Parts: sequence; C-alpha cells; structure tokens
Amino acid sequence: MKEFFEKISRIDRRIIYVIVFISILIPLLIKKGFEFEPLPEVKNAYEFIENLPEGANCLISIDYDAASMPELQPLLEVMLIHLFRKNLKVIMMGHWPLGLPLGQIALEKIARELGKKYGEDYVFLGYRPGIAAVMLNMGKEIRMVFDVDYKGIPLDSLPLMRNVHNYNDIALLIGFEAGAVGDAWVQFAQARYGQKIILTSTAVVAPDLYPYFQAKQIVGLIGGLRGAADYENLVKKRGFAFSGMTAQTIVHIIIIIFIILGNIGYIALRRLR
Amino acid sequence: MIDIIFLWIAAGLTIAIFSFLYKDNPFYKLAEHIYVGSAASFWFLYLWYFDVEPKILGPFKELFKTYGFLKMWPHFGPTQWILFIPIFLSICMLLRFIPPVAWLSRWAIAFTVGMAAGLGVTGALQGFIIPQIQATILPLFEKDILTSFNNIIIVVATICTLFYFFFSKEHKGALGLFSKIGITFIMIAFGASFGYTIMARVSLLIGRIHFLIYEWLGSLF
Amino acid sequence: MKKEVPLAITFISGFVLIVALFIPHEPFGSLQERFNDWYIIVSGFTLILGIDSLLLYHWRKIKRKEKEAPYSIALILSFIITLIWGIHSGIKYGSPFSPNSTFLRYFYTYIFVPLQATMFSLLAFFIASAAYRAFRARGLNATLLLISAGIVMLGRVPKGEDFAPYFIGITFILIAIVSFLEAIPRVNLYEKLIFYGISIISIILIFPIGYLLKIHLPSIADWIMNVPQLGAKRGLFIGISLGAIAMALRIILGIERTYLK
Repeated sequence: MKEFFEKISRIDRRIIYVIVFISILIPLLIKKGFEFEPLPEVKNAYEFIENLPEGANCLISIDYDAASMPELQPLLEVMLIHLFRKNLKVIMMGHWPLGLPLGQIALEKIARELGKKYGEDYVFLGYRPGIAAVMLNMGKEIRMVFDVDYKGIPLDSLPLMRNVHNYNDIALLIGFEAGAVGDAWVQFAQARYGQKIILTSTAVVAPDLYPYFQAKQIVGLIGGLRGAADYENLVKKRGFAFSGMTAQTIVHIIIIIFIILGNIGYIALRRLR
Repeated sequence: MIDIIFLWIAAGLTIAIFSFLYKDNPFYKLAEHIYVGSAASFWFLYLWYFDVEPKILGPFKELFKTYGFLKMWPHFGPTQWILFIPIFLSICMLLRFIPPVAWLSRWAIAFTVGMAAGLGVTGALQGFIIPQIQATILPLFEKDILTSFNNIIIVVATICTLFYFFFSKEHKGALGLFSKIGITFIMIAFGASFGYTIMARVSLLIGRIHFLIYEWLGSLF
Repeated sequence: MKKEVPLAITFISGFVLIVALFIPHEPFGSLQERFNDWYIIVSGFTLILGIDSLLLYHWRKIKRKEKEAPYSIALILSFIITLIWGIHSGIKYGSPFSPNSTFLRYFYTYIFVPLQATMFSLLAFFIASAAYRAFRARGLNATLLLISAGIVMLGRVPKGEDFAPYFIGITFILIAIVSFLEAIPRVNLYEKLIFYGISIISIILIFPIGYLLKIHLPSIADWIMNVPQLGAKRGLFIGISLGAIAMALRIILGIERTYLK
C-alpha cells in the first residue's frame, strides 16, 4: 500500500514530459475545435475598434518577442486584418527590439494580402530606447522621437504621418505586451494625455491588467491564447489560436490530474507515517 | 531551396533545445550559446540602426555630406551643439571598461538613474496610485445585490491586502485579522495568476509543436 | 567631485521631471522634453555596456582555457557572424531590418526566433512537473490557491466545465475518506461527530456542486478574475508603487547611493 502511494507521489519527470507532449500532439493532429463565448473584456476591445470612424489612426506597440510569439502573433495578425478591413490607418512601433521584427513581418504580410500601401495606409516607425521617455515625448510631438521611419524616410514625406503629431491625432493605441511596458503606456500615455488604450498581453501578464480595465484606464483587455481565440471568433477568421485551445484544454486537465495524484500520495503517506 | 535548408536548421535547433528535457547535453549547450551570442549581436545592430544612426548621426548627416568632417563645425546650430551633452554621457558610459577613467561612467549612470527615478515617481503617482484609489471608491450598497457584493469584496480585498504588507507593527488584534483576510485574497489572486501562467507556458509549447508538425514535417509531404 | 557631480546630476534630472508634472510650462516643460531626448540616446548605451560585459566574460573563459571554453567560442563566433550578416544586409538593402533583407528573412525567422521560442517553451514541461511535485494542499491558504488555480484553469478553456464535476467528485470523495479516517481514532464524541459530519456533507455536496460548476464554471472564473483577484492585485501594486516612489525619492535626494559603486 505504502509503495503504491510512494510511486504515485514520485512519478519520473520524463514520464510527465512525454504525457504533456502527447496531450498537445494529439489535439493538434486531430484538429477538432470547440465553441466558446468571447470574454466581455475582449468584446469591449472588438466593439471599440468596430466603432472607430474610417481613416482613424491606430498606433500599435510591439512589446513582446519570440518567447511570447504563439500567444500574441496570431492575435496581431487578426487585429491587423480587422483594422485594415475597417480602413483604419496603422502606425507601428515598439519597445522590445528582439520582437519588433515579428510585428514588422506580420504588418507587411497582412498589408500585402489586403492590398494596403506603405506610407498611405500603414507606417513602421521602428524602435527608440527609453520606454517612458519615448511615451512622454510622443505626447508632445512624435517627430521629437521618430523624425524618420525605419527606412530613414522623413515622416513629413509620408502622407499618413503628415497630420499625425501626437496622441491627439491617434484614436487608439494597441499595446502587445509581454512585460511591464503596458503599465508604462497606461501611466504615461493614458494618465497624462488621455490616450485610449487596448492592452493585449500574454497570459502571464493578463491578471495584473484587470485593475486597469476595472478603473477604465484601458478600454479592452485581451489576454493569452484564449483572448486571441476569442478575437479570431469575433473577426470570423479562425486560425492558430482557435485550433490551439483544444490542446490547451487537454493539457490543463492532465496537469490537474497530476496535481490530484500528487496530493493523494502526499496525504496518504502523511497518514501512513 | 534556401528556405528548406533554413527550415531544417530551425527544426534542428528546436530539437537541440528540446533535448535538454532528457538531460543536459552538448547540443543543447551549443544551441544555448548560439542564442545568447546572436541575441547580443541583434541588440547591438538594433541600437545602431534605431538609436545611434537616427538620433546621434542623423542631425550631422546633411552637414557632413555638404561640407565634410573638418569644415562642418562652423555650421553647427543649437541642435547640433546641444547633442554633444548626450554624446559625452554616452561615451562616459562606455568608459566603464577603462579603469583609470571608469569613474566618468558614474555621471552617465547617475543621469539614467535620476531620469528613471523621476519617471517612476510621476508615472506611479499620476498613472497608478490616484486612478486606482479612485476606482476603489465604489458604492457599497446598490440596488443590485450582486454589484454591492462585488464592490464590497473589491474594497475589502484591496484594503486588507494593503494591511498584510504593513510590517511596521506586529500582526496582532485588528491588524492581525485584516492581515489574515488579506492573505486569503492574495492566495486567491496567486492561484488565478498560476492558472494563467500555466495557460501561457502551455501556449508556447503548442506553438513549437505546431511548427514541428505543420511547418517542418509538413514540408516533407 | 567623483561623488558630488553624479549626485547633483541625479538630483537635477529627477527633480526636473517631478516638477514638470506639476508645472508643465517653461522652463520645466521644455527641460523635461530635452532630458527625455537625452535619456533616449544614453539609455541605449547601457545595453551596450551589458553586451560588452557578456563578451568580456566569455573572452576570459577562452583565454583561461576553461572546460566550457568551446561553447564560449561558439558564442563569440555567433556574435561576430550575426554582426557581419547584419552589416552586410544593411549595406545591401539599406537596413538589415528591411522586409527583403536576408538577415530578417533567414537569420531572424529561422535561427533566432526558433531558438528563443523553444527556450521558453521548455517552461511548459517544467511547470507541469513543478505543479505535480510542489502543489500540495498543506493548509487553508494553499488549498485556496489550488482551488482558485483549478477554477481558472478549467474555466478559461473550452469544455473545461464538462470535466470540472469529475474533479470535484474526486476531491470531495478524498475529503470524505480523509475525514472518515480522522474520525475513527478520535475519542471525543464532539470531534468524532464533526469529522463524520464533514464526511457525509462532502458526499452529499458532490452532485449539487458538480452541477453548479458544469453550468457556471466560466462565470465563476470570470468572477474570480474580476473581483477578488482584482482587489488583491490592486492592493499589491499600490503597495509596490508606494515602495517604488519611496525608493525613487531616496535616490533623487542622494540617500540611496548604491548605484554609484
């Protein structure tokens, strides 16, 4: 009896790894998806974008890197599709250099698919170090921080940027967050300049952003793969995020089973001692 | 063709990193060191093309093209002259590696630390503390019982959590009671964060396995 | 000189930023913009400092011919190759980050991204193993943490609510068994009744709680995220912000000087 409970409380970690791997592999191969209702905070974000007038400027900040790519890259692509479908203008920049090319790649890909023109429908500004200093100076005049785009073209030469000077000319800021830059956007761009912000984040960061949503400092919150899948459903363009949710369900169940097994072993061994 | 070769390199590097799950091995160590080295170089390139070139060299470019290095100096305006202050501080930063003049790097570090401190105070105060306290001032008795209940929970959770982190007095009596309530809410919050963290980490793995199946093995069929 | 000038620089830069929040007019407003501009330039070089330290550390390992020196050679080689590739793409395409550049199309997409993404995806395995090994219901608070994590994990994924009744059933059966076993050796009648009572109530509650979770688990997870979790996080971050302000003021006023070492 005691050996049985010792066995279940000391399963080899490599067996756990194999089970986790298989429980992701099988759902990805079977490709069966389940329906689910979008979260209210995601719906808020979607409806805010839906209600923006045509031609409004949206600033996208890429503040994640390849480590958060599976959660945020599908969401970025589907949001760009949504923005371009509504003929909104996209200005992209970022604070994480290691991940900014991911944003650039997605922007070029979606713009090409939807026939959008660089300089007229979208602009890629690039990166400047300094985070909060960048945000504050952009509130006065964007050209104080970015006088040229990533190719070195002066902003005034780009038709899209001619009438964009600061946050007053930007209808919405969408931050793709894997760290603390989202807090900086709220604390500087929203608090000081009243910029409307939607924060999309990895699931690690998402719980910390709920206080901002309740305080109405942000107009929408899209967290993790679930948020990305919700947005894909709302835009009616299901992709990786939606198909990945089944695997997510299976792995969560497997992990809970392991936790229960561990606790059974622990409680039983404690009593037997 | 080149895409296929690089796809196989990507898959090889992915499997090399995954091999760590069995045990630490030379393939994993090699992949890890390649990652660190290339990340450092990537940062360097990004800083050059997005910081040094546009912000430091940019204002001097036109004058350099027109007059050349030696003759451009008399044509400097206030924009160019004032730029020498951050250029000087940036050079001071790099002098950290030359022991006789390493003390100059303290000036640059003092500037960045002072700026970070100033930005931290203003951001925290205006952007977090005041709006969040405002948002916690909620009506406790509403017509809708559920809204009242939720508001009471939010207010009690916020205040009791703050009480838990007050360590200047021993947690006894009323303070002890509030701290106990606070730690209860903190445990609920940490549990929720843990659940979300698992979701995040699993998503990353789903992404990698998706790449291996559909992009790498998919290219063979 | 060596200590006074840095302290003065810290004080002036921090002070101007704080005053500019309250007096955004001249001269503080334009001074703040100027300082922000300099900070954008100088902060980039702090990263170069980090890169130089990394390269120096590995160079020393190679010079001392340590056991792991071959990996340090690989690191420095990958740094040099990436740098040359990036500069070559910069010269050929105007910028290594141009969409057509080989640096972005091949190096970044097929070497850098897979390495970084896979490195972090290992965490999924480690977190599963750690959850199994360390997540024990040792007391009330640990149990609350477990329950909250379980509700959020199942409530935020599709069809999670269909599996929740089974887990709640197993949990209540375990509680019933443990309470029953606790009751047997007890001598005090009152304690015996309490534990037998817990055992019986656990069995009775399986069906109603299971049914409740099947219908309402996503709403319960929503409620946890939007109410208790929110309140606790808000309290936590207010405390952290107050601490950060105190620390920042100490630095600006020169009381905290560890950064000068």
